[in-house]
Order: sequence, then C-alpha cells, then structure tokens
Amino acid sequence: MTEAEVLQWIKDLPIGAAVRQSRWLFALGETLHFIGLCLMVGGLLIVDLRLLGYIRRIPMRAALAFLPFVIVGFLINLATGTEFFMTDPFMYWPNPAFKLKMFMVLLGGVNALVFTVMEHRHVLVLGRDERTSPLGKITAGASLAIWFCVILLGRLLPTFEGSTSFF
Amino acid sequence: MEFLTWLEMTDFSTWLRESDWGYPVLLCFHAVGMGVVVGISWMYSARILGYAKSFPLEGFERLFSLAWFGFVINAASGVLLFVGEPRRLAATPAFWIKMVLIVCAGLSLWALEKALHGMDDADALPGAGGAAAREVVVTGAARTAAIASIVFWLAAITAGRIIGYTMPPPPL
Repeated sequence: MTEAEVLQWIKDLPIGAAVRQSRWLFALGETLHFIGLCLMVGGLLIVDLRLLGYIRRIPMRAALAFLPFVIVGFLINLATGTEFFMTDPFMYWPNPAFKLKMFMVLLGGVNALVFTVMEHRHVLVLGRDERTSPLGKITAGASLAIWFCVILLGRLLPTFEGSTSFF
Repeated sequence: MEFLTWLEMTDFSTWLRESDWGYPVLLCFHAVGMGVVVGISWMYSARILGYAKSFPLEGFERLFSLAWFGFVINAASGVLLFVGEPRRLAATPAFWIKMVLIVCAGLSLWALEKALHGMDDADALPGAGGAAAREVVVTGAARTAAIASIVFWLAAITAGRIIGYTMPPPPL
C-alpha cells in the first residue's frame, strides 16, 4: 500500500468520521488532551525534581508514587492524539512540527525505559535528602526537557500546517 | 469599549494579530504555564485527598513557588493574548467565565497553601509529640479547597477551549 492509501484508510475509519462531523467531540478531545498534559506535567515535576534534588526531604519512594499520574496522563493523550490524527491524517502526517513532536514522544518513552530498567530499583531505597546517581539526574533532566518540547511542538502544529519543512 | 478600540489600534496589538509568531509564542508560554500551575495544583489536591500519604506535605513548599511562577506566566501571556484581540474577547462570554473561574482557582490554591502552613503549625503544638506529630490531620477545609481546585482548573481549561470556538468575528 502507498503512503496515501494508508492515510486514506485511517481517515475512513469510523472514529475519524464521527469526530469530523462534531466540533463538540473535537473540542472535548482537546480539553481531555490538556487534562492529560496537566496530569503528566504535574506527576513529572514531582518525580523529576526529586531526582534532580530541587525538592528534597522526600523519600524517593514517595515521589515515585506519583508516576501513575504520568502514565494515566500519557494514555489519555495517546488516545486523544490518535483521535485527532484520525480526523485529518493528510494534514498531520506531512506537518514537520507533528513529525518532530512524535519523535520527541518516542524519545520520552525511551528515556522512561532507560530510567525504569537502569535506575528505578536503585533510587527506590533513597531516603529524604539522599542524592541520586548521575544517570538518575540525566534521565530526570532529559524527561523535563523532552516533554517541555512536546508541549511547545503541539502548540506549534497549526503554525506549520500546510508546510513540509520548518524553513 | 473606547479603550478596547484604542488598544486594538495600537502598533503592538496590530503586530500580535498580523504576525506569524506572536500568537503561537504566547500560546506556547500559556500551555507550559498551564501544565505547571494546574499539574502541581492537582498533584497537591490528590495528596490532600489521601493519595500517596507517605509524601510529606512540606515537600510541596518548593513546588508551590513553581506553581505560582506558572500562574504568573499565564497571567502575563493571558494579558498579552487579550491585547491582541480586545474587542472580540470582551464580547465572548466564555472569556469572562474563564476569568471568574481562574480567580476561583487561584483562591483555592491560596486556601490550600494556607492549609499547608496551618498544618505545619499544628505539628509544633505541645502534646503532639512522637510519631503522632508527623501525622497531619487533613481538615475538612483543606479537603474542600482541594476538590475546589480540581474542579475550578478543569472548568477554566474547558472555558479556555470554548473561547476559541465562540469568539465573534472581527468588528468592522
């Protein structure tokens, strides 16, 4: 199948069609997307700022207890993001801001994987004020930077609509 | 109304409306500020309502400073967004509703912060020694403020979206 055929197949799916016909559904999706964003950012700030040492006096295990918010927020945004894409794949797919945003989301996932596999069990034992390893700090800093960029790129999607490159 | 018309005619307001980057950049700041202030408010509300009880409440003090910073970023970017389209926004009910909701959300945040300091003081009371001192009783007031914070920010975000959909066309 060609790229255009795949995109057309996605566009023809029932969800895309339903949302295209209802501005209300799209607005609801946008509102949910913002809610997911806030849940993710809230949870990430607690986890990453504790890893970085900006907030202290907190046992690491307690800070990591906020990770489920990050996951729930992410899943909400994955679902609503997929909904948006399905309404107009031909607009999103060539958009350079969209491509970069998806790349950053994947990067965020890889970063989370690195943290989970390599650092998670080591940091769980850290008590109040105890510092994280360099790798812990790097993944925490990368996490904040990556998801910050994801937010910016999301906001810039309309600006690059119709363009095929950033320049 | 005359002031709004004057504001709309200024060079800055015109530039905001006509430039490719004015609004996108402002909205970037607004989105980040929203994530920070609402995210932290919601996490704190969750904690107050009983989530992650092992997380010490004083751990939120620095986060609150960050939350207020986010609030200020959104107040500033919000003012500038208004400057770009003063008459259209003033004629949009969802805009005024959002302003009221934000005041309510800000008040809830302030009440939460007050509840935090109030509980810190309670820890220092004589007679509250030993392990019991670390157990902070979450008052009904704190719980109410927490739920209010969740609801008001949710409503403000929704109102913000509705502004875009219900703004009247540019005045002639």
